[in-house]
Amino acid sequence: MSRIEINNLTKKFGDLTALDDVTLSLEQGQIVGLLGPNGSGKTTLIKILNGLLQPTSGSVSINGNAPGVETKKVVAYLPDRNALPDYMTASQLMDIYGDFFADFDRLKAEAMVDDLGIDRQQTMKKMSKGTKEKLQLCLVMARQADVYLLDEPIGGVDPATRDYILRTIISNYNENAVVVISTHLIADVESVLDDVVFIHNGKIVLHKAADEIREEKGESIDKLFREVFKC
Amino acid sequence: MLGKLLKYEIPAMGRKMLPLYAAWAVTALFLGLSTQAAESKSEFIVVLTGLLYTVVTTAIVVMTVILIVQRYSNSLLGDEAYFNHVLPVSAAEHIGNKLISATVWVVVTLLVAIVTALLIGLGAMIIAGIHGYDINLIDPVDLNVWLPKHFGLFAVELIILLIASVVKTVMQIYAAITIGHQASNHTTLASIGAYILVLMFEAMVGRLFMPTLLSLGLNEAEGILDLTKAFFPALIGSFAFAAIYFFVCKYLMEKRLNLA
Repeated sequence: MSRIEINNLTKKFGDLTALDDVTLSLEQGQIVGLLGPNGSGKTTLIKILNGLLQPTSGSVSINGNAPGVETKKVVAYLPDRNALPDYMTASQLMDIYGDFFADFDRLKAEAMVDDLGIDRQQTMKKMSKGTKEKLQLCLVMARQADVYLLDEPIGGVDPATRDYILRTIISNYNENAVVVISTHLIADVESVLDDVVFIHNGKIVLHKAADEIREEKGESIDKLFREVFKC
Repeated sequence: MLGKLLKYEIPAMGRKMLPLYAAWAVTALFLGLSTQAAESKSEFIVVLTGLLYTVVTTAIVVMTVILIVQRYSNSLLGDEAYFNHVLPVSAAEHIGNKLISATVWVVVTLLVAIVTALLIGLGAMIIAGIHGYDINLIDPVDLNVWLPKHFGLFAVELIILLIASVVKTVMQIYAAITIGHQASNHTTLASIGAYILVLMFEAMVGRLFMPTLLSLGLNEAEGILDLTKAFFPALIGSFAFAAIYFFVCKYLMEKRLNLA
């Protein structure tokens, strides 16, 4: 079943075309790598799916609904910045998630927070950049969502945490959900991907199963990425 | 969901406001104590505490406005919007949450202002009691002479109009901020420009309806504006403007939200 449908999506910022007539369908039960260099349109696409940006033309839907209250119930979003109120503690943020998201698993979140050594009573303001990112990811991954949209989930964390995050993504992922990971750190995520979307200058240049790419091209996704996006 | 939003929003503003209220109350009490103490000593201390009270009062008024602006723009149009706008909550509930919270804190600020005035009096009475001074309080019997007939009704109408005016002003600010954020750059400047436009719009519409409003509220026998008669037209006017601004914000957030 198709969880995400994107039809002829275009987004312009003045003269700049961030997304150019993008059409894409993502099925449930897979981890999708949305891969592209900086400024290729990855974040713009994810923001539109979350209703944080409005398309210039075209449409997107999640479970058949346009972005809105219904889609927000089933989408777990990790933004590319710290978006959580900085005066709140990890514990208070878990309260908020529990209040607003019916699919939030508090025990799972607490276990992840403890695993990563995050002090539950520390305010966001006092946390390091990396700790903030880890906490955001714990909150997002502790949901049993239909769609996970993770924008640069491993960008600002150390390699050990990277491994933990990827393990967490795999262990939390279920066959009814689709996980979209936007990143340019291909080598780190390659092993967990089922499906790969290459995006460049706002256009989809490749959409294939990860195994298919490896079989057809006889090379890793990271190597193919370097070839396609060679400067 | 509105209740859940308010559960977090009202304390978020209170966190900043409550310490200021405490400082306000303490300076008011000091001012009251110093007014009577100064009768036997220097007037310098009265000037100093009076100045301190004025500074704290001004700071609280400014802080209230800043917080209303900040809580709205940061939460719904700044970085925190990346969290708030992915909650399964409608745009109307988000705006309503901010509006209710801002109105509550403006009303609380007004109530605290009254409390500080009472504290000034209390401080003066404490010192007067210690030194045996005679302070001329108004005899409660005299209040009947000073207060107009139906003062209770008049006061209730005034309070309702005050709250309606707060609601309209807060929505006016929110509309200006939301319109200003439609600009791709210099959103603060654009919001100030939008605020001026909103004021002009209100003045133009007000000019169209003001004669009718005045005629409805005019006491023809005495040739003066009768608040009781003008109450409902003024109330409707305030809420009509607030409703217009609310729908402008709602439309822009639902259809034109473009977070940077």
